[in-house]
Amino acid sequence: MLDKVIELLIRFGLLPERAVQHGTLVIFDYLDHTCNAIERMRQRADCQDYEVFAPTSYHELEHAAGFGYSPVRWFTLVMALSGTFFGFLICFLYAYDYPLMVGGKTPGLYSLPAYVVIGFEMTILFGGVGTILGMLVFCKIPNPKTPVLDDRLTDDKFGVFLPGKSPESAPVSVLKECGGKEVKGFGQFSTQATKEEEGA
Amino acid sequence: MSTTTEPLAKAYKDEILDKTSWNVSISAVNDGVLVALRKPHPSFYVAWGVALLATIMGAICWGIQITYGLGMAGINSPVYWGVYITNFVFWVGIGHAGTLISAILFLFRAKWRNTVNRSAEAMTIFAVITAGLFPLIHAGRVWKIPLWMAPVVGALPTTNNLWPNLLSPLMWDVFAISTYLTISLLFWYMGLVPDMASIRDRSKGIKRFIYGFLSFGWRGTIKQWWHYEAGYGLLAALATPLVLSVHSVVSWDFAMSIQPGWHTTIFPPYFVAGAILSGIAMVYFLVIPVRYMFRLERFILPDHLEACNKLVLLTSTIVFYAYGIEFFVAWYSGNPYEWGVFVKRAIGPYAFYFWVMVFCNCIFPMIYWFKWARRNILIAMVVNCLVNVGMWFERYNIVVSSLVEDFLPGSWGHYAPSLVEIGITIGSFGWFFFWFFLFCKYFPFISMSELKLIMPKPWSPEKQKEIDAAEQAQVARL
Repeated sequence: MLDKVIELLIRFGLLPERAVQHGTLVIFDYLDHTCNAIERMRQRADCQDYEVFAPTSYHELEHAAGFGYSPVRWFTLVMALSGTFFGFLICFLYAYDYPLMVGGKTPGLYSLPAYVVIGFEMTILFGGVGTILGMLVFCKIPNPKTPVLDDRLTDDKFGVFLPGKSPESAPVSVLKECGGKEVKGFGQFSTQATKEEEGA
Repeated sequence: MSTTTEPLAKAYKDEILDKTSWNVSISAVNDGVLVALRKPHPSFYVAWGVALLATIMGAICWGIQITYGLGMAGINSPVYWGVYITNFVFWVGIGHAGTLISAILFLFRAKWRNTVNRSAEAMTIFAVITAGLFPLIHAGRVWKIPLWMAPVVGALPTTNNLWPNLLSPLMWDVFAISTYLTISLLFWYMGLVPDMASIRDRSKGIKRFIYGFLSFGWRGTIKQWWHYEAGYGLLAALATPLVLSVHSVVSWDFAMSIQPGWHTTIFPPYFVAGAILSGIAMVYFLVIPVRYMFRLERFILPDHLEACNKLVLLTSTIVFYAYGIEFFVAWYSGNPYEWGVFVKRAIGPYAFYFWVMVFCNCIFPMIYWFKWARRNILIAMVVNCLVNVGMWFERYNIVVSSLVEDFLPGSWGHYAPSLVEIGITIGSFGWFFFWFFLFCKYFPFISMSELKLIMPKPWSPEKQKEIDAAEQAQVARL
């Protein structure tokens, strides 16, 4: 029932069409096997677009893939600084536009220490929102188009996906050598039956 | 191994290797946490119902106050800040432990926080929302609020010719609390995204669609994890000064005035320590029943609960010190008004509240110096409940006992909460627990992706052997 509704919504353009991925997914049981697989794939010129799935953020995988610092921090810095600017700006604009004298304290430059609180809170607010935005942009989410390849990848399995490679191709056999337990074809490669393989 | 290096080897084994004895592997996490969501223990529904009843009672009391006016509350000259502001400060304080556990302990890499951080973050959000109700309740004619509150702060002067005084701590508080709520919500939701993807992947039909929508289509690629971890760390780094600033700003609502008993520079650290004390006690108080109702004993281990109690002990000693130094400074200042307020707090008409506060916050938690007390759930539940009672009384004490007697004896008075105020207070507890239980039913109460991080890593058997051998060699070397 729901699938039909979603299909209808997609047909009328109210939901984005699901992208079909062509390629092969190899499923791993163990962390070190996955690390090996990543290192082997990095050495191959024909597999630079590999994707690795993990149930949680194991740093071993990131080291194996050779990631450095995430660029999310630039979003945080720029947004946090603009927050500081905005916080002080509203204080000074209020002081300029309608100087409200309370208890003999003149608003404006003389009251700068009182504005530090507003400037600080705005720094944190903008910085936090910027961090989330940066994360969404770089993680490429929200992402309703890309299908979920395997339900166990968010549970306890690891996976390496090779776009545009058939289950019989050479890189897939390298992955099986590294300890891949199961091979699944997608898109144009899904016609071949999914194979259960006994790993090394 | 010689005797002098034995402690070193033991420390290496206990601290560095962190041999928390997990009986389960990461494969059991999603099954254990999510299956429990489907069928909680019947006591869950009883607790939820009680919370709902309390909420309804609070709503009726608020209705009475709205119908008959603020006269139904006990606040009157000279005490215009009664139980409502006490509750406001109390609930904001409860929220602080959530951020402490999720952000500060994350930066300190305290592994035990991964089992309780989700519940602590949820507690923060519901506590801050509850706190946010009290200025509205306290304002009386609540239907007038849209006239001066609804436009965003930046637009205020241009829409209604209202000019907020940005030199006022009350205005700072608006900024601080709204920033705090926003950042806490973002932090909490960010943590939920991968977990909701896990729920999506094991459900079908409409549920899969809803959780897929809520998880933004999270796929769990290592690129995503990399940016996610970086964002999480940065958000934690931003939330750390924020949590310390928010209760400092709340304390300035008092300390920036010239009221004896309020006008003191120790207030910010004193409020922050008190907030964390009450919050951690509340986390423990919430986690124990929910751990039982959802059968999560396999994941929230006694070690993790003991760590909570250690934090209660630490913050309790800080609060103890603050109470002492507050008295000392009042005496040492040579200001008769200041000293008068403090003496009257201890032996005057509000002495009962004062001594409840001292015993609950400073004396009872001292039992946590003993390991058996920290690990005994019954004792810890009682003590942590008393800590929360004590912290509520502390806020009551600060708000009321300073206001009743200021510089002019002619304007002195007395204050006691009315039934409506007590009803709304109990209702606020019901409201808080109602939302918390609702959250426990539909979202994973334990952060599954973070729990997997502190469990033994899924090495292959060969690699595991290598690692064990290396650890053994290191212990032998020490």
